[in-house]
Amino acid sequence: MAVVTPSQVSRKVHKPQRVGATYYAFLLPVLVLFSLAITLPAIMGIFYSFTNSVGFGDYYFIGVINYIALFSDPTILGAYGFTIGFSLVTVAVVNVAAFLLAIGLTSRIRGKVALRALYVLPMVVSGIVIAYVFNFLFSNSLPELASALGIAPLEKSLLANPDLAWVAIVIVTAWQAIPSTILIYIAGILAIPSDVYEAAALDGASGARQLWSITVPLTAGYILINVIIGFKNFLNSYDIIVGLTNGGPGTSTTSIAMSIFNGFTNGDYSYQMANATIFFFIAIAIALLQLRVTRGKASV
Amino acid sequence: MHPQRSTPLPALSRRSFLVGAGAIGAGLALAGCAAPGGAAGATEISFYVSKPEVIGYFDTLIAEFHKTQSTVRVIRDSTSNMSADFVRNRPPDLGCWNYNFSMVQFVERGALSDLSDISEADRINPDIKPLLAATADYPGRTSVIPYSLTAASVLYNRDLFEQYGVAVPTTWDELVRVCEVFLAAGISPFFNTYKDTWTVAQGLFDYTVGGMLDVSAFFTKLKTEGTAVDARSAVSFQKDFEEPMTRLGELAKYANSNAASRGYGDGNLAFAQGKAAMYLQGPWALNEFAKTNPAMKVGTFPLPVTNDPGDLKVRVNVDLALWIPEVSTKKDAARQFLSFLMQPEIQNKYNADNNAFGTTKDAPPTTNPALVGMQQYYDDAAFYLGASQLIPSGIPVANYAQSIALGSSPIPVLKQIDGDWARLALRS
Repeated sequence: MAVVTPSQVSRKVHKPQRVGATYYAFLLPVLVLFSLAITLPAIMGIFYSFTNSVGFGDYYFIGVINYIALFSDPTILGAYGFTIGFSLVTVAVVNVAAFLLAIGLTSRIRGKVALRALYVLPMVVSGIVIAYVFNFLFSNSLPELASALGIAPLEKSLLANPDLAWVAIVIVTAWQAIPSTILIYIAGILAIPSDVYEAAALDGASGARQLWSITVPLTAGYILINVIIGFKNFLNSYDIIVGLTNGGPGTSTTSIAMSIFNGFTNGDYSYQMANATIFFFIAIAIALLQLRVTRGKASV
Repeated sequence: MHPQRSTPLPALSRRSFLVGAGAIGAGLALAGCAAPGGAAGATEISFYVSKPEVIGYFDTLIAEFHKTQSTVRVIRDSTSNMSADFVRNRPPDLGCWNYNFSMVQFVERGALSDLSDISEADRINPDIKPLLAATADYPGRTSVIPYSLTAASVLYNRDLFEQYGVAVPTTWDELVRVCEVFLAAGISPFFNTYKDTWTVAQGLFDYTVGGMLDVSAFFTKLKTEGTAVDARSAVSFQKDFEEPMTRLGELAKYANSNAASRGYGDGNLAFAQGKAAMYLQGPWALNEFAKTNPAMKVGTFPLPVTNDPGDLKVRVNVDLALWIPEVSTKKDAARQFLSFLMQPEIQNKYNADNNAFGTTKDAPPTTNPALVGMQQYYDDAAFYLGASQLIPSGIPVANYAQSIALGSSPIPVLKQIDGDWARLALRS
């Protein structure tokens, strides 16, 4: 590579150690904060997952019993199943919807700027507020509307149906997550040079062909980023589920983050620390995957 | 005309500005400290009470306490996270909290100091002590002093009962007949609110279990089974709870058709509007009805689940209990305020004002028309702790109860609770 790195430049002028020290000094505050607020608690959490601690008082080591109990607990396994399935569906819904909306919002239409502002609005409302509003709509407005129109299957609240409550959560989560995804897609689509489209138009490519052969490949990096960041965020879902179903009916919509947090408040500290440890390693695996697949491609 | 010349203000230097601001700030801070304290050398104690309905009530009591003496000043705290405070070794000096599963960890890990040597401990009604021990116990210690006992059973609309000429049922068959009468009249017999899982746990779940089983005996045996709880153990949820849960399913049929999407607030409103004859809630809901319908006449009776009136019992919980953490450095001052709160005229007035029963041997009977239906059961100690309160909170029993109420078959759910119990026993 012909690129000259800063250290190579500086070697000619200054002693390299001096520059290094400055770099480290810049890193230090973040490093200290990160260690104290993230690394240390994580290590302590992993430590406690091998004990029977409730968070305070006496405790002793119980080995890997928490982990054994974890893998035979249908509620916890159900939470993993629900969270991963829900994340996959939501990622698909959010990205397809946001991509199509972004195409609409970058095309030549009237009131483009006002529409963009309108579509981005849900981003500024807190998740728990959105959840409570939708909770009311699903529990009261929608059933009443359904019975007025004579649609029998929707007369019962969606949130009270153990088999369908997850659909409501997908809808609300998508409603909140689409705006930020749209913004990234708009940036991606606007970054495509217009001469590519002009050339395609001259060659007689249809609109659909242009979308499939130009827009999609040239925004591949953005799609990848949105999918991975979205998936990671949905795995951590908490506030919207609490506001909509609180994990119910039964335990059908309890997410991993909810079961971990409930453990902390319900005296099941070390058990849920074991759960958190497993979840932590899953998150690391996803982060490594993200680094691997976005290397190079994200700069498209 | 000469332009009026004002003397230029001396330029405010940054340093003098900061000094001035600092002095003002310090003055405010000192004033802030001095305001509640007053007398020099007074011991400040933190007093934790989080029950939202009574925070103002306790503020009045704190003000009265400050008038009677000047050595202890009480700072009320209603917002701390109790688990976090214990983890940080900074719990309140005196706690006044619901005595349920959330207290188990503090009691059983020895975080609360022994109160057996204070005179108030001898005045406690002996019938209540087993309730405390069943929830949580630290051998050889009186970890808490119960302050207020809440009794809950079926709330019924007395006007509707009178209008349709039905008497309070004392057996299951009578209850079914009462339900049929209301159903025929187009009135929902029960108003249920499955959307809020806790309402299912404290109502349908606890009442059907408590009306059929000896709850304390069941859990004592269950604890000795530990990791062995399953279909073959002496007691288990799948064996002992099947009958009550079947009753739960039968009762759910007599509820409002939209029960699945109704919550606690909806239930209070509907019941106060006379949309249902019976409502499975505790006396805490009475004040909510009064907001909608101040003239409403409400009565209470224990839910009959068997055909033997001798099985009738009411569900109780120790709504407030006082405790002093082991790590508090101001135990004497905290005890002084505890004794103040436990004076009969103060404690009895609190319980009368808040639809509760007393905890002492000399507690007067209730005169509240909505609660007199339960006085006899209180006097006879025909009461039980809600089963949902005795199941460790790591097991989401309220969610399980909700799924049974929504129509799940009980046995798979009860098997799941057995499995949860065994796993919990394995790891604790």
